[in-house]
Amino acid sequence: MRIAVVGIGIISAAGMGIAQTLESLRAGRSGIVPEPSHLATRHRLPVGEVARSNAELSEALGVTGTNSRTALLGMTAAAEALADAGGSRSNTALVSATSVGGMDLTECFFEEFGADDRRGRLRLAAHHDCADSTLAIARYCGVDGFTTTLSTACSSAANALMTAVRLLRHGIADRVIAGGADALCRFTLNGFRSLQILDPAPCRPFDALRAGLNLGEGAAYLVLERADEATKMPYCCLAGFANANDAYHQTASSPEGEGDYLAMRWALERAGVMPEEVDYVNAHGTGTPNNDLAEGIALRRLFGERMPLFSSTKAITGHTLAAAGAVEAVFAALMLRHGEIYPNLRFAKPDSRTKLCPVTRYRRQPLCNVLSNSFGFGGNCASLLFTRAE
Amino acid sequence: MKTCCYIERFATHDALTADPKKLVPDPMLRRRMSRVVKMGVLTALECLQGERIDAIVTATGFGCLADSEKFLRNLLERDEELLTPTPFIQSTFNTIGAQVAFLCGCRGSNTTFTHRGRSFESALLEASMLLAEGSARRVLVGAADERTPSQHRVMERMGLWRGREDGEGATFLLLSRVPSSESRACLTAIDFPDEPLDKEQIAVRYVADRVLCDDYALTGCYPTASARTLVHGIEALGGSVRRVAVCNSYLDNRPSIIVVACP
Repeated sequence: MRIAVVGIGIISAAGMGIAQTLESLRAGRSGIVPEPSHLATRHRLPVGEVARSNAELSEALGVTGTNSRTALLGMTAAAEALADAGGSRSNTALVSATSVGGMDLTECFFEEFGADDRRGRLRLAAHHDCADSTLAIARYCGVDGFTTTLSTACSSAANALMTAVRLLRHGIADRVIAGGADALCRFTLNGFRSLQILDPAPCRPFDALRAGLNLGEGAAYLVLERADEATKMPYCCLAGFANANDAYHQTASSPEGEGDYLAMRWALERAGVMPEEVDYVNAHGTGTPNNDLAEGIALRRLFGERMPLFSSTKAITGHTLAAAGAVEAVFAALMLRHGEIYPNLRFAKPDSRTKLCPVTRYRRQPLCNVLSNSFGFGGNCASLLFTRAE
Repeated sequence: MKTCCYIERFATHDALTADPKKLVPDPMLRRRMSRVVKMGVLTALECLQGERIDAIVTATGFGCLADSEKFLRNLLERDEELLTPTPFIQSTFNTIGAQVAFLCGCRGSNTTFTHRGRSFESALLEASMLLAEGSARRVLVGAADERTPSQHRVMERMGLWRGREDGEGATFLLLSRVPSSESRACLTAIDFPDEPLDKEQIAVRYVADRVLCDDYALTGCYPTASARTLVHGIEALGGSVRRVAVCNSYLDNRPSIIVVACP
């Protein structure tokens, strides 16, 4: 059973909505800013911040009251995806991914509660759990079917798309809105900083001198339907996918990139696509020395000398954590629809161990099979294979 | 939705028998684990009994609360400087699933659902779909949630403990695509009805000989308590009780139903 992508929506540092995002991607315009302007942190680190305040996001959505930034970003992108798919349809499910949920509000709550547990506004604490943003999106979009939240760190949204396919194949839903949302917050910025994997400069995925990632934020959702019942001309099909575990270390990738390799190989096998039929890989490519090396080794293991074109778009968006898999799935859908590849910015010199050179300039290129990688903490490796719609 | 897979065995944290040192021999690894991670990992490994599995699906309503709080407090108290990453690393929602994969060398699908009172039901649904589609023959599925003083206090201030006993726990089940002589139950349905149902309505709709609703006096109230209640349901099977429905309406939300039958 083929699964079609019939709607897409996105908000990230690359832009508000599909049209603006497409413009940034084609122009190779990075959304990374030298320091956050909406996030209340003392750190002056480059981030991929969405250029809207919570008040502006709320106003554009027409919502009032307290919402986490994750929920606001999620509602924005999911509503765009749904409108793009032609509006609502009955028996629609929602599978949403997040890793921070309402942590931005919990941080504010704890500023008072931490010193005195009788203080702190409960309204802020009520949005802490991951389900909160999902339920806000479900209400806003009028989702009437099965609704759930998935959280597997940086591979979350890719895994949400896999669960979405299952819900369609098992007839549990007729349409699924799937993707992820994560806002910048002090918790994650400081978390990645304490791990010493944030580049103090704009990130350089796959470059020999890469020095870490830039944290990003955003949300992206895809509307999936069974291809034979698709209500709209699809962007592409989600033909294969796999979730493999590196089973090596909580944060680091294994030296041979075993989980990365298995996820890609199994995704191809499930789709019945040979490695030489892959036209392009949207790499996880965070820009950390460890990730890009392990992923590079895994790519070499799978493709050998016949390496397809590839790039990491995280130099444009930053690493949007739980949303990344969906942000990049939206990019894959756009690339397949328009026959083009978006560049890997700031790459200068290949890593001598993998000798991999990504696409560094926007190019027109007809594509049939696009692989998209998302790897996360806990050795969680996810790979999605998108194919041209016909 | 109808399902058809078999529950081979289960383990619950409140009834662990194996020695933690045998389950996780590395003392460093044991020491690094927070309470909820230790609860979950030990329960998962006891359930597994060294058996090979193809996938791991975990559930948690709140995730690793203690580690999240530790990192958050440090961040605020130290004004975002000189932070140790360990609590941040371990605060990730998939920590338990990842640790279990690492300890048993399971490279297959590994997913974590965290959807408040429906976290466990979501995980169980995912596991049953993995089995039904043939992606896996044996799946470890389970849930864990911990009680922390701050969470207790916040929910107390919200008035959520009126008439409820606060709780925590970990429960894991080994699911199989095909039955064996050891099978304890057949998982026949997971359902999310649109409206509240009383015990009688549930018994009629799901043709159940017995209906178990949230009993927080027995399990304590936490988002994934229904996993523990499911074990009660499996234990109740036998004799004239051929089919049991477990109803979860965590914090008075819309119910989720899990139905198990004699294999």
